[in-house]
Amino acid sequence: MKEEKQQNISTKKPRFWRWTVASIIFRLILIYFPKNLNLATRPEVSTPVTSLRRLAEGYWLTQSLMSPYAGSMYHGSPLLLSVLGPLTMKKIEEQPFHLLCSLVSVIADFICAMLIRATGLKLRMTYCERLKLLGLGKLFEVSEILPSEDIAALVYLWNPFTIVTCVGFNTTPVENLFIILSLYGACIRVAPLAAFGWVIASHLSLYPAILIIPVILLLGNGPDATPRKLFLMCKKDEDDSSSKGRVEQNGLKELKSFSWKPVVLFFVWAFIWTLYVLVLCGIFMRNYGGLSEMFRRTYGFILTVKDLSPNIGVLWYFFAEVFEFFRNFFLIVFHVNILFMILPLAIRLKHRPCFLAFVYMAICSMLKPYPSVGDSALYLALLALFFNELAEMQFSFFLFCGYVGVSLLSPVMHNLWIWRGTGNANFYFATGMAYACFQIVLVVESVSAMLNHDRKIRKLVAAT
Amino acid sequence: MKSTFLLCFLLLSTYLCNGIASTSSAMHTNNWAVLVCTSRFWFNYRHMANTLSLYRTVKRLGIPDERIILMLADDMACNSRNKYPAQVFNNENHRLNLYGDNVEVDYRGYEVTVENFLRVLTGRHETAVPRSKRLLSDEGSHILLYMTGHGGDEFLKFQDSEELQSHDLADAVKQMKEKRRFKELLIMVDTCQAATLFSQLQSPGVLAIGSSMKGENSYSHHLDADVGVSVIDRFTFYTLAFFERVNMYANASLGSLFSSYNPNMLMSTAYYRTDLYPRQLEEVPVTNFFGSVMETIHTDSAYKAFTGKDSTKSTLKMPLGKSSQDIRRTLASSDVQCPTSDSNVEDPQDSCPSTHFWNSVDEKMRKVKGLDTWVNSGLLLMFLLVAFSSWLSF
Repeated sequence: MKEEKQQNISTKKPRFWRWTVASIIFRLILIYFPKNLNLATRPEVSTPVTSLRRLAEGYWLTQSLMSPYAGSMYHGSPLLLSVLGPLTMKKIEEQPFHLLCSLVSVIADFICAMLIRATGLKLRMTYCERLKLLGLGKLFEVSEILPSEDIAALVYLWNPFTIVTCVGFNTTPVENLFIILSLYGACIRVAPLAAFGWVIASHLSLYPAILIIPVILLLGNGPDATPRKLFLMCKKDEDDSSSKGRVEQNGLKELKSFSWKPVVLFFVWAFIWTLYVLVLCGIFMRNYGGLSEMFRRTYGFILTVKDLSPNIGVLWYFFAEVFEFFRNFFLIVFHVNILFMILPLAIRLKHRPCFLAFVYMAICSMLKPYPSVGDSALYLALLALFFNELAEMQFSFFLFCGYVGVSLLSPVMHNLWIWRGTGNANFYFATGMAYACFQIVLVVESVSAMLNHDRKIRKLVAAT
Repeated sequence: MKSTFLLCFLLLSTYLCNGIASTSSAMHTNNWAVLVCTSRFWFNYRHMANTLSLYRTVKRLGIPDERIILMLADDMACNSRNKYPAQVFNNENHRLNLYGDNVEVDYRGYEVTVENFLRVLTGRHETAVPRSKRLLSDEGSHILLYMTGHGGDEFLKFQDSEELQSHDLADAVKQMKEKRRFKELLIMVDTCQAATLFSQLQSPGVLAIGSSMKGENSYSHHLDADVGVSVIDRFTFYTLAFFERVNMYANASLGSLFSSYNPNMLMSTAYYRTDLYPRQLEEVPVTNFFGSVMETIHTDSAYKAFTGKDSTKSTLKMPLGKSSQDIRRTLASSDVQCPTSDSNVEDPQDSCPSTHFWNSVDEKMRKVKGLDTWVNSGLLLMFLLVAFSSWLSF
């Protein structure tokens, strides 16, 4: 049986690489379509914070010796401007205009997928180890543990949302890359890498800052595992019987404590990288108003929701009609909505930091001021990492149909509203609300499925 | 006795100040045109053609649609009696179609009433009236007011049912002056007995010309046999003939315009009134009213969105011939434009040595020009450091 499984896994590897290469080729083909299939103008794909067209405008402004934030077009990081800016200006002969930037997106997607795969591999290995430690090795014979890392990487590469985001001429692939980099660094417990990924991800877009909690938990506890209590239960049994080996006892001892050393290192490195990034930004912005101007125009723009153009989120509609007097109050309410969910989820899911990261990303992408489908591309890939644990998730088909339906109806409603004039904003906002509802259902169901899985394991452990 | 003398002196001085300050205190900001055709019906085709010809002329010479209020009392272009649909001509050679691609009529048909006309002049509109229908002039505006239609002794007929009287017009202009809605106003009237319409004017800064005097009629120029009606009035015909020789950069003066009217050709006396107008007509270019030639002020430096502690302030070259009072309306420094500069333009008088140090570092950094490449190399260094440190702690 084991040889068969080995053979299955080994034949799957070339298939995986074939699919990966096919996805890259598919993206390259799409890039060569004229004008990127007009995806860059879709509100679902590019937002005021991530649009590369705005970055090009910001870069042009710096070339004309003006602040890149003049005129309220560009709202991203100055570092991204200095890296991607020159690329937006270069034109290679006989190639589509923004080939270089699209190539950067493709490369970012590929690296992201590889990092997801590496993270998934580590997670799966840890999962199998832990199950063995608990004495549940029999589970492997009963049900096959799928290579969730390959599935997650392929889900990321072939998700229509990711492809659309990659071709759609924006900076979301780069942001996703740094988020995954921080999670990967935390999984393999390399503090500088995790700190770097976290600092850059929250510098580029504000919301990945809440990933500090899963990253710290990952660094301290190690990758996802079943709750600590189970090991304590096991340990009691261990003392009685001497049938298990010494190695496993050592493994159990290791799991008991939260190791502070990587966490402290993480904070040190995060501090170093933050200083570095701030110094670089300060140098860049020396003539244009300094760091305060940058903070006002990037984070201030995101937090105060200045741009109310329609997107797939739920904030624009609300803030278009709220009175000035209550605006600050409702801004606080919406942002606190994200913040309030951090602590309870962290308490409940502290033994599964990667899953916690997925839940946080899903909540962020729902309640962000300027969401796009690129954010959901990321958390759907993270969801696929937990393929094995979430095998018994309810409503999966309903959610799948829901996502497909919303992604088809949303552009239609947008067209009806804006271009034909036969619809109105309510049509489009209805699809936005439906999208938010599906995301909520996804989060709730996945969390309950994960907790059910842990409960099942506990029952199995108690039974043995 | 002394108190009444003092009171009289004060009143006189304020009156004088008002009188003097009214025309010369404000800098010329923009030019507006209010072009009114007051006649309905097909046989008054020429009044429409007059107004549209003037509209075309002022647009050609630079006044944009946002600053033209065009009031046409009837629609000749799409009239069922028009053999050339959507076309309005002012000459029998049909060389020019006045109803070209971009004619923006602000008041049309039955909206052209005395009430709306006076509302436009005085600016007293209902709240729902859109901006395109308002005369949004300020105290530096030059306004051209052209009226054509059927008129008589001290009146102008609107829509064949009501009339605007000369004292109504004078009152409206007086209100405009009080509300500082114009710096200079040129009233041009092409009707019968036109000069009587502005006989009651008393506000300073107003120049008025009419196509005929009291007791005279104004005549149409020629009949277009194809269209079937007269297509242009004499006064406007000769005005246009003058303007066809003028372009935006021409220096032709108002004096030359006014003296170009030949009473024999007009078959009436074009009478104009300059007693309320302070400047000499020979010195005033026609583009002062009929076009829009803006004064440009040259600055040395590029526009900066944020100036803050910028040490290179721009120096402005003052336009020649402006009085000292005009200086207060021009920019003294480009810092004024930036709202964000307030917080940063502070004297570091009461700051501690560390801020001095940072300020000097800042100044030095700003002067060093190669720092932009530092950012790129800094980024590269960061990536290398990450790779190295990850490899170390792996």
